[in-house]
Amino acid sequence: MTAVLRAEKLSKWYGNILGISDINLEIGPGITGLLGPNGAGKSTFLKIAAGQLKPKIGSLQIFGENVFANHRLFQRIGFCPEHDSAYMEMSGWRFIMLLARLHGFAAEAAAAMSEKALATVGLLDSKDRTIKGYSFGMRQRLRLASSILHEPELLMLDEPLRGIDPLWRIKIIQLIKEYEKQGKTVIVSSHILPEIEAMTNEIVLIHQGKIFAKGDIQRIRGLIDSHPHQISIHCPDPRRLAAKLVDNEYVLSLDFPVQERGLTVKTNQRDHFFNALMRLIAVDKIAVEEITSPDDNLQAVFDYLIGK
Amino acid sequence: MKNLNAIPIIFASFFRSGLKATRTRVFMLLGLAPVLLMFIVRLVDAGSAPDFFSKVMLSLYFQLLIPVLALFFGTTIVNEELDNKTLVYLTTAPVPRRAVILGKYLAASLLLLLIVGCGFLLSFLAAAANRLGQAAAWEELGVFLGTSLLALFCYSALFTLAGTFMKKSILIGLFFVFGWESVVQYFPGVTQKFTIIHWIKSLLPVQADQGGFLIFQLQPSPALESVLVLLIAGLIFLAAAVFIFERKEYILSDNA
Repeated sequence: MTAVLRAEKLSKWYGNILGISDINLEIGPGITGLLGPNGAGKSTFLKIAAGQLKPKIGSLQIFGENVFANHRLFQRIGFCPEHDSAYMEMSGWRFIMLLARLHGFAAEAAAAMSEKALATVGLLDSKDRTIKGYSFGMRQRLRLASSILHEPELLMLDEPLRGIDPLWRIKIIQLIKEYEKQGKTVIVSSHILPEIEAMTNEIVLIHQGKIFAKGDIQRIRGLIDSHPHQISIHCPDPRRLAAKLVDNEYVLSLDFPVQERGLTVKTNQRDHFFNALMRLIAVDKIAVEEITSPDDNLQAVFDYLIGK
Repeated sequence: MKNLNAIPIIFASFFRSGLKATRTRVFMLLGLAPVLLMFIVRLVDAGSAPDFFSKVMLSLYFQLLIPVLALFFGTTIVNEELDNKTLVYLTTAPVPRRAVILGKYLAASLLLLLIVGCGFLLSFLAAAANRLGQAAAWEELGVFLGTSLLALFCYSALFTLAGTFMKKSILIGLFFVFGWESVVQYFPGVTQKFTIIHWIKSLLPVQADQGGFLIFQLQPSPALESVLVLLIAGLIFLAAAVFIFERKEYILSDNA
């Protein structure tokens, strides 16, 4: 693998707060997902990679060069930040045109590039509106347009699907996959596993500033699926439901919360359990009002994996 | 993009945004307030208008409006980008950071010049309406405008510098304008030369403080020396601002 990005002993902290610690990582062409709960260090890593922050210890190189204050490198890099920020008084068109001109395109070429980028994210019709009139999702798409405008070789996207409606989610995922097909490199961060799963199999798990695991998403999926999940089910007749569930081989324990009308199930095979539950609801006509899974988030998975 | 080719692009974009900004419009109105005052004086007592212009208006412009406007425009060059978290768009573009700060500085300076220049010119016209045919009146205007240009250059460069490394630069700047500059300019001997206003006042034909209640008075420096000091100080402030902006990492928010 030819490494596009190479981090060696990379560490960064803010006063007493650790951002990332001792990260050694090589990322090559294709899509790589940075996955971790909020505060894990994903954004810090991407900000160092985008030249916004300096490493405290170690180094991070892109295309063999250091990034901070290396403006020429940004001809080859596109970065979509996590913040909901933009020049709110500008129109979407002026914002993108400004960036296109800063990328060195002459006025005519910049206009063509801007039009293409805005069309890609579905904002061409709204290009003359001021950004402050855009919805959150539109601003997110505008940020994405700003990062793909110059068709970079390396695209870094920090939580790119945040606030995006389902239809555009699919389109953006397709766009990211299109980049992969062109042999480019995409690094995308998220704290939502299915988002990353929809884009790539190659993931880097970050937790508490360190790389926790790296590799194929199926391996991580396996760990997550065998993670004992707690599932809360609100229903009018919890004991009837419990009687049906008690024979299920994937159920580890059943509990009746004192203050709620329902039951809490612990299972080590979440998907199988849900299939069985759906059958009970459909065949045995057991009424269920609400199903929640307090463990169904990355933080819980990480806590489980590190043995908390 | 090579070297500083991005400066005109950044300048044009931020000048245009600045013209439309509410803040500019508010400051434009503030800059016209002395004009209104001047017209009132002229209506009440036309004979005292030139004298009023020299003594009061100059104090208003050079000791209040120019430093305060330069403070607000200079410090926001970087601070506004940090507050709005927009700096990332400029620093991930393939342009040198110095082009970013210089382009924005030029845009802010031209806006300042427009605000101050318009008010200044109108005030002057109101004050010198009776002697507009005299060359001396226009020469006087030239001196005032030239001095205001130097004052704007120096103050805005200083406050741009402050904005590159201080988060609360407006507060510190206000202390500088209303504390240091207002008080130390009256200190005797060399001490008053450590203020910018000393060098500005040294260029003005009429000293606004003459006959004031303070014991210590301005001891003007030679005009050429004053011009050089203001130019060199402004260039040093600007160079320092560029130096810091190129090297400093700006943390835009809580980092995840």
